[in-house]
Amino acid sequence: MFIGIDVGGTYTDAVLTDGSQIIAKHKTVTRHENLLDSLIAALDAVTLDMDVSLVNRIVISTTLVTNVIAEKKTPPVALILSPGPGLSHSEYRFHTLTHIISGAIDFRGREIAPIDREEVVRAGQDIKAQGYSTAAVVGKFSNRNQSHEILIKGLLDSDLNIEMGHLISGRLNYPRRIATTMLTAATKSVFAGFLDAVKNSLKQRNIAAPVFILKADGGTLPPDSSLRMPVETIFSGPAASALGAMSLSPKGQTSVVADIGGTTTDLALILSGKPLLASKGAVVEDYLTNITSFAVRSVPVGGDSTVVVKKGKVQILPQRQGPAYCMGGEGLTPSDALRFLNKTGVGDFSRAVHIINKTAAEAEKNPEELAAEIISEAARIIVNAIEQMFINWEQEPAYRIWEFKQRTKIRPNNVVGVGGAAKGLIPTVAALMNCNAIIPEHAEVANALGAAAAQPTVTANVRIDTEQGTYTLVEDGYSGKLAQGQPFTEADALKLAKDALFARAERLGVKEYVKELEVVHSEVFNMVRNWTTTGKIFDISVQTPRDILFYLGQEQ
Amino acid sequence: MNRNCKKSGQTGLVFFPAFDWRITPTHPEREERLLYTRDQIFEEGIMDLPRIREYKPRMASCKDIARTHICVPGVRDQVTEAHLISAGGALTLADALMAGEIRNGFAMIRPPGHHAMRVVHGNRGFCNINNEAIMVDYLRKQYGLKKIAIIDTDVHHGDGTQDIFYHDPEVLFISFHQDGRTLFPGTGFTNETGGPAAFGRNLNVPMPVGTTDEGIHYILDNLILPVLEEFKPELVINSAGQDNHFTDPLANMKVTTQGYARLNEKLRPDLAVLEGGYAIETALPYLNTGIILAMAGMDYSNVVEPEYRPGMHKMSDEKMTLIMELVHEVRALWDRRNTIDLGALRAKNDFFSRQKSIFYDTDGINEQQTERLRLCPECGGYLSIVSQAYHYHGAPQNILALSIPFNGCHECREEAYAEYELGMDKKAYDYVYFQDRVSDTYRAYSREKNREWEEI
Repeated sequence: MFIGIDVGGTYTDAVLTDGSQIIAKHKTVTRHENLLDSLIAALDAVTLDMDVSLVNRIVISTTLVTNVIAEKKTPPVALILSPGPGLSHSEYRFHTLTHIISGAIDFRGREIAPIDREEVVRAGQDIKAQGYSTAAVVGKFSNRNQSHEILIKGLLDSDLNIEMGHLISGRLNYPRRIATTMLTAATKSVFAGFLDAVKNSLKQRNIAAPVFILKADGGTLPPDSSLRMPVETIFSGPAASALGAMSLSPKGQTSVVADIGGTTTDLALILSGKPLLASKGAVVEDYLTNITSFAVRSVPVGGDSTVVVKKGKVQILPQRQGPAYCMGGEGLTPSDALRFLNKTGVGDFSRAVHIINKTAAEAEKNPEELAAEIISEAARIIVNAIEQMFINWEQEPAYRIWEFKQRTKIRPNNVVGVGGAAKGLIPTVAALMNCNAIIPEHAEVANALGAAAAQPTVTANVRIDTEQGTYTLVEDGYSGKLAQGQPFTEADALKLAKDALFARAERLGVKEYVKELEVVHSEVFNMVRNWTTTGKIFDISVQTPRDILFYLGQEQ
Repeated sequence: MNRNCKKSGQTGLVFFPAFDWRITPTHPEREERLLYTRDQIFEEGIMDLPRIREYKPRMASCKDIARTHICVPGVRDQVTEAHLISAGGALTLADALMAGEIRNGFAMIRPPGHHAMRVVHGNRGFCNINNEAIMVDYLRKQYGLKKIAIIDTDVHHGDGTQDIFYHDPEVLFISFHQDGRTLFPGTGFTNETGGPAAFGRNLNVPMPVGTTDEGIHYILDNLILPVLEEFKPELVINSAGQDNHFTDPLANMKVTTQGYARLNEKLRPDLAVLEGGYAIETALPYLNTGIILAMAGMDYSNVVEPEYRPGMHKMSDEKMTLIMELVHEVRALWDRRNTIDLGALRAKNDFFSRQKSIFYDTDGINEQQTERLRLCPECGGYLSIVSQAYHYHGAPQNILALSIPFNGCHECREEAYAEYELGMDKKAYDYVYFQDRVSDTYRAYSREKNREWEEI
């Protein structure tokens, strides 16, 4: 038995499933002031009549970190940065106490300038004097050489909480590494408190099943491992929604997931059975971060959008005036058109007829035609946004000839609709795109189902520089020396990467989920100096396959 | 030119390092060349800057190539996909600029192009096709631009670009480079001034070995910027080589990152296209970052290469005097640009002709070429080119090519087409080409296959 719980911004939903069908489900409004209560209430609702020892695992998606960052309920974090040469130091503006210190590392991890120890000590004293208890230490190219960050941390008072950039992101992008490290430092304690409370609650209920936390990239981690970087749990909601829709649709196909809400429609793509991840890190409260998230797009159209008719043309405005007329609101909305045409059973039919007839008369139109026009206009806006999403994906920069050629034009098989107005709108959207419309049962708890179906994902990036005789396990912030005197081949590099991934999976407590691996990226550069090959640089990235635990939509 | 309204807007970047393209494994033009540049600009977060907009390159068409080049036997035989993407990257930025999406753009692309001449028998100076020239001809065809200036800041003479626009008075080409007596390709002297119809629109400054920031900025301030002021181009293009850098392994100059960045700040190119530069670790990561920031109007003062020490480069007074004299001489050439009496030349001869002997260092080909320009009173005049290529192995190849300028007149087109048809009947030519920029059609004929085709 699997349990998935999504504590979202508006609703909290939970499901209990055996992997082939949904056994219990629950949906309530989230209580913002107490997310833990919302979570536990949902858990209790789906475990009401069952023997909790049958639960195999619980996956939680929570908006906690999103909330504390948005509400600025995090402790202040000071920054100690060593950017070295490059962008002007005045560009590093993170709205907090920032000490820029000397010291620099280059792109191959070589020291350009040493750390000035006294300068670090003075910075530490100032940080404490100004009342900060947490600081982030981040150096440019610290993903290639961690020694400066480690040295700086060692020079600071041990009662400061220090977060180091190289342990947070191995990807190239210094400003994003700074922001992500800062947000990690800011959210650790509040997240730790939340996890403790969850653990206690489960203990009280005698639930011994392992707990996992959903991340923005759709992967899961055990609580202790997720504590390493709580900020990764931000935007787990859209991931849960897309994974839930994926679980409710045929396996391995290309689908668009459209979550049609009151005023917005959120879109996600599943390409040949794999959710599309954003090419750049997520934006969190104006900070560009390194956090991998799903590629999502929000379109300002939904069931409650305002509809006007101007010069005989139907227009859907991005704002909402209130609920749909058929739900007791003031003005015409797409929901009224759907109710009028009996494409949905929600709302007062006579009110829908009234508002459609009234608007049609004013615009000198036939009421049935007007209602159909409203639906096709809403569908057209959604289809355009979907098309733009695919084009954006095709237009993502390519740096190799094969990448350039590989991103061929593909289009979806299915449009999977979840959310209130999906049932009425999705068939029109799918028809415009020549796709199958899928409006799955249980769509209202898609997020919880997505959480239940999510699996741990583990990635290992390894960089090997044979000229310098070093290798770096990027995610672990670990550097080692290669064995001397032996030729190092691509097969050796691959083995190093795979071993690193298995070791990492073990440390993260998800070893049993790692069976097969895929090589997502492997590049080898010959280093030539003075016309002879002096070494090679390998950059290898391996990961566990991005799949979900079960599909409930197979019969379709 | 839209230079006055360039206060807002973004700087467009195409980054196509072609990590899977090389000439040979240990060649300077190998996969690794822009690896550290990628590391630096990605780590700096350049692509996230609000003033930067990154574009994915598109693929240039064979027609885009054939508008500029006579590729022997055909375009597909001279280019790989990497070349089409590289040239396409330049075209992508040209389109973005003309659409007003960006205020300027820098195409960081490989393979490079400025040694590729009009006729292409193979690779020379690491280049098969000329990215800037293809972009310039595209801008003229697609957007009707007329006056364009190309400033070649590579340490090697931009002999390919010079060759392509030698008779074109609408394209001003200025190259400053290490003296041809000490560096490939061995040309680029002050007396290469442009053909009779474009006299003074081709300017070369062969700099002495060891020229510093001070030297190139003297040339910029006292020659290039004043000449641009008078030429009034619609667009300025930087053929942006980076091998004047003091650590470049293939040349002997003393220019720094700050020197190159300031050059771009002062030159304000609308489009810059990457050319050479082979100090892949000590210079390129810093130079590219500096040039991007300068083009984006951002502070580049902290972009300093690790090997730089203040005061390390000083040029002797003799060398500085030499540069001043060169600038004086070239400036005088420019001032005399309108003194050629074409009428008197026409009275004596219908054609102006020049002989060229061209060596393809990469592919080991010797080419002998005779180029005849019709001294037309109505248009730029068509070119009739006879070329023999002696490949390292195998028989020589003979070609005839007729090339019509963008403003080609009816008479030139008729006469050139007649010569093309006659050429197809002559056994002397293995291939015959008709490059008609007026109708934008590019035809070719193979004797061996007895087949005519069009590049599309």
